[in-house]
Amino acid sequence: MHAPRPISVSFSAIITCLALAMSGGCNRGGDDKIHVAFVTNNPHAFWTLAERGCEKAAKDFNVQVEFRRPAQNSPKDQQDIVDKLLLMGIQGIAVSPNDGKNQADYYNEIAAKVPLITQDSDLPPGSKRRCYLGTDNVGAGKAAGQMVKEILPDGGQVVILVGSLDVQNAVERRQGVLDELGGKAGATGPQLGKHELLTTITDGGKADECKRKVEDFLVKYTGDPQKLCFVGLWAYNPHMALEAIKTAKLEGKVKVVGFDEDEPTLAGIRAGLIHGTVVQSPFEFGYEAIRILTGLVKKDESVLPPGGVLYIPFKVIKKDEVDAFEKRLNELRNPPKAA
Amino acid sequence: MKKLIGLLLVLIVLYGALITMLPPRAIGQNNFNLARRVGQYGIISLGAGVLIVSGGIDLSIGSFIGLSATVLAVGIQRKGWSPATGIAAVLGLGAVVGWIHGMLVTKAKLQPFVVTLCGLFIYRGLARWYGDDSNAGLGSEHETFRRAFSKYEFAGLPVEFWYLMGAVVVFGVLLHRSTYGRYLFAIGSNELAARYSGIRVDRYKIFAYMLCSLTAAFFSIMFLADSNSVQPSSTGSLIELYAIAGAVLGGCSLRGGEGSVAGIVLGTAILFVLMTTVFVAGVSDKLEYTAIGLTLLVGAMLDEFLRRRGTAVRKA
Repeated sequence: MHAPRPISVSFSAIITCLALAMSGGCNRGGDDKIHVAFVTNNPHAFWTLAERGCEKAAKDFNVQVEFRRPAQNSPKDQQDIVDKLLLMGIQGIAVSPNDGKNQADYYNEIAAKVPLITQDSDLPPGSKRRCYLGTDNVGAGKAAGQMVKEILPDGGQVVILVGSLDVQNAVERRQGVLDELGGKAGATGPQLGKHELLTTITDGGKADECKRKVEDFLVKYTGDPQKLCFVGLWAYNPHMALEAIKTAKLEGKVKVVGFDEDEPTLAGIRAGLIHGTVVQSPFEFGYEAIRILTGLVKKDESVLPPGGVLYIPFKVIKKDEVDAFEKRLNELRNPPKAA
Repeated sequence: MKKLIGLLLVLIVLYGALITMLPPRAIGQNNFNLARRVGQYGIISLGAGVLIVSGGIDLSIGSFIGLSATVLAVGIQRKGWSPATGIAAVLGLGAVVGWIHGMLVTKAKLQPFVVTLCGLFIYRGLARWYGDDSNAGLGSEHETFRRAFSKYEFAGLPVEFWYLMGAVVVFGVLLHRSTYGRYLFAIGSNELAARYSGIRVDRYKIFAYMLCSLTAAFFSIMFLADSNSVQPSSTGSLIELYAIAGAVLGGCSLRGGEGSVAGIVLGTAILFVLMTTVFVAGVSDKLEYTAIGLTLLVGAMLDEFLRRRGTAVRKA
């Protein structure tokens, strides 16, 4: 009954114009520059420092870098991005696979077309990626376990908090905590030496859910709060645990150790309410990935680390280092603009 | 009325089950925590509920909360706004966004589902862009702001609960004691009939969209004061489902024209008491959502069954 309306034509025209206008920010730059990409596994703030590292490397090595974050923690979204990058003529890719085990075939095909390296999270052994760079997550978990021992030297109860246990880094960090407390590799608990693992609480990556669940846990908890320690494996976990502890008016009694450098976590350490945090070096993830990719595109194999693995060192930040660390962090986040 | 008594009974049973699983000394703290959650989420359920009564829907609530919380945190933390400026800015933003939704639905004749689904994407992207994909919070500053919207307690209950009570009065008068409310029910039941009887349908619908986005903006203020940390890429995600579930559980029909303020508040309370009960009962994390979904489904089936039986008995 309706004739095609002219409005729908103009509507498509508007959409096209909008899309073109937005893509104006993506400049294709000098045409003969090496063009490589860094692809994350989610859009979290953690990656902002990696992006700064990529930007610095782009300048130092005179290459063009596409930095892409999938909007969801989804292998499908990630592969869509990689496919589009290849269409754009990307010459090398550094990726943090969402689901290494099941994406191995896909990434092996990509590795046959352009140099591919993994960062932050690896593909299973035998894959065709040229090298892996990232944190030794089991080691980092052990460092967190070490902090639990420091703060509860006579033993106590431990609760692990994490977004989800289907991500490799979460599994490895958790295992590291268990190994350190249990004093042997592959420890499973619940009894781990002098310490007892009460439970592992997951929140689907949602900070507000983490807070709610810790509040509910504390309501139900009947043990001695002085002997209880939360270990937060993902960035928001330690400070969300602290907020929940404050709701229960148990701050200073219940202990917290954590990972990463969210501002409220650092503030909690400064206030003496969080014992310490294990921080990775995402800036170096970005910088080193671009350095290695640039070399590989130039057929320079000497950039590859021995054994195909480059561990970027993690650090443990406690109260006495927190100010210096935060200062350095701010310098990396907001580099002085070059004239 | 029967519906409300049914909801109240479900709430009492769930709550009773919950407190038998808790050590007695913890019940006070548990009530406090629940009052905060029901306070926060009840307010957005009221906003979503009014819209649903008018026959509309807003799928962008969660993304808009993400954007609004990001604007507030980034404004105060990085741009040096005073909290008052930030609050005014996000409430203004809420009004504008709601107005745009309403205009697109009424004047451009787009489906509410489509308009707000597009909003869901647009606001999330804007939040990530405005926040530069970096977390934002207030650090240890602005204690007064945090007290005013979260940390303050009155009569042993958190301030969020009292905000909800205020909202209940406002929405109660609006929906059940004013011409506006009667018109909304009329529009939701039969928009065409309402239009033919001279009701300025567009104006009332636009106002319902504005109310919904305003409550989302207000939620984002309470959210920042409470958790002090905003992740532009994830804050607020899926919260629209809690808001809609609370409203629907409380008796709002997605077909429009049905619902009550008391029901919406009870629905929200049931949702959050249920989530706590499932957690405290030690249901595995993996099955938690399944347990919540199944309980809600059984509730909905029971409700429909009783309603039909009631109708059948009356007819007989």
